[in-house]
Amino acid sequence: MAALPHHEAGAIVLEQRFGWRWAAGFAAALGGVLVLAVACAGLFVWGVGVWGTNVPYVWAFDIINYVWWIGIANAASLLAAALVLRGARWRTSINRFAEAAALFAVLCAGLFPILHLGRPWLFHWVFPYPATFEVWPQFRSPLVWDFFAILTHIVVTALFWYVGLIPDLAALRDRARTRRGQVVFGALALGWRGSARHWLNHQKAYRILAALVVPLVVFMQSTVSFEFAVTVVPDWHRARFAPYFVVSGLLSGLAMVLVVALLVRTLLGLHELVTRRHIDIIAKLLLANAVVMAWSYGFEGFVAWQAGEHAWHSALEKVTGPFAPLTWGAMLGTVGAAQALWFARVRRSAPALIAVGVLVNAGVWLDRLVIVVGGLYRDHLPSSWGTYGPTWWEAGLLAGTIGLFCALMLLFVRFVPAISMFETHAEHGGPGVRPGVRP
Amino acid sequence: MTARPPAYGLIAQFDSADRLVAAARVLHRAGYRRIDGFSPVPVEDLAPYLPGEAGRRWLLPLAALAGALALGGGGYALQVWTSAVDYPLNVGGRPLHSWPSFLPATIILGILGAAVAAVLTMFALNRLPEPYHPLFNDPRFHRASGDAYFLCVESADPLFEARRTRRALEDLRPDRVAEVPW
Repeated sequence: MAALPHHEAGAIVLEQRFGWRWAAGFAAALGGVLVLAVACAGLFVWGVGVWGTNVPYVWAFDIINYVWWIGIANAASLLAAALVLRGARWRTSINRFAEAAALFAVLCAGLFPILHLGRPWLFHWVFPYPATFEVWPQFRSPLVWDFFAILTHIVVTALFWYVGLIPDLAALRDRARTRRGQVVFGALALGWRGSARHWLNHQKAYRILAALVVPLVVFMQSTVSFEFAVTVVPDWHRARFAPYFVVSGLLSGLAMVLVVALLVRTLLGLHELVTRRHIDIIAKLLLANAVVMAWSYGFEGFVAWQAGEHAWHSALEKVTGPFAPLTWGAMLGTVGAAQALWFARVRRSAPALIAVGVLVNAGVWLDRLVIVVGGLYRDHLPSSWGTYGPTWWEAGLLAGTIGLFCALMLLFVRFVPAISMFETHAEHGGPGVRPGVRP
Repeated sequence: MTARPPAYGLIAQFDSADRLVAAARVLHRAGYRRIDGFSPVPVEDLAPYLPGEAGRRWLLPLAALAGALALGGGGYALQVWTSAVDYPLNVGGRPLHSWPSFLPATIILGILGAAVAAVLTMFALNRLPEPYHPLFNDPRFHRASGDAYFLCVESADPLFEARRTRRALEDLRPDRVAEVPW
């Protein structure tokens, strides 16, 4: 029985055969969470003065990290939703953890807009409630748009993930040997019986959610870009920012899913479920996206050249000024590192792919830094020209959210089937169904 | 009020999705209407034998649409009312009802409304959460999420008659037939 792929996915959760490697990884991730807690505590006690941000650099690591994480979240959601909608046969092993990665990334992203407020404990002021001081949120402000975008993203991603999980939670409830497992999974499964009526409505709702995720992530990523595009900063005030953010976000999300897929496959021993073919397809998607990204960079230069003196000056400063190493690093990381994926040998090697995935993510992070900080380097007024350097508190926030993401991912692979059991059963063939024939 | 029948119904256990569908077809042709199949994977071919489902085909998508219109429209109305009526703020003589800047929140709230409505409607149609159900009394029903396929005829079916229905189920050559107590 245990040889069946979908049993394997459930057995990981029920039998809890996790060794020292999981514990060591989780301990390291918890260390990161601790760093995050300290970085937040310092911010709450001493205020944003502990950061290196100062006029003209009103935004730095806070918004860089936010844009970076939200890009990962959006792209991972988009991948999962596209797989469900396409009905791709190889989707079953990827979409569950792509959704999980999206959910955890958006949780990390959601912290930053709150933290960057200066008085973060008043963040509820962006919600339109009838307050005693009788002032409403400014609905023409991207900060308020962003609040709704993040809230919606968290709710919809969580629903998408949970609805897909319900049948698997019921399967775990039915297979759990311990009382605690039966009670916990039973409560979470909500009394799912696998009735034909249940399945009919479940599959419909699941596909509707997937269909909603696609426009959501495109609108959400565009809303993030509006934070920049609606200002008058020469480097930011551009209509093309929305598609640019979608493309570059897609790159980081695909790279993150690739890294997570390789780690899940190796650490959980799921070589039969996450096959070489899956890895190969994600790697090729990443490569295709990197080509689009290269075109975007070229287009950016072309537009700056056409857009007049300010924009051209600002663009030249980016590639030759003090931010030049970062700009070239961003291009090398995003477009450059992905070029290795043209070679089949790289696509077959897990360490090489993880290296490419990490480099691409680092490249996209640098790209955000160049947009957020580099964009403010040459504003219209020479009086607002200056430089910026981060403090340890800001670096702590970045390291801390990476730790938080890893900790949540590690808990996810341990307590939730990382691969959809019922879909694997239907697709790979299990008791009572022929492989590949959806009954 | 009529007396409650002695059992919830009868279930037959099969070992494959195809046999479950074939059995459902036979019972449906015999006139049984309150039947339901239980399977570890979605079995779409069972849909024609579920009474009332054909009429509810569009309920979920329509609920999602209604949710989108309600929350998106409500969100837009709230933005217009707060920004142009209740607390008008003149910034450089720009129009108070500046609809383009109200669109991002409106669209995103519409998507939120659709998603929440779709999931809540799915729960309502499936009557979830439902911690207790008579079917869980069957000692082998837990296999419905693993390797077994069940067909249940409820005693509420007008054609249900314990002995005759049991014979009808046994004629389908299932692995076993059992009565489901309340």
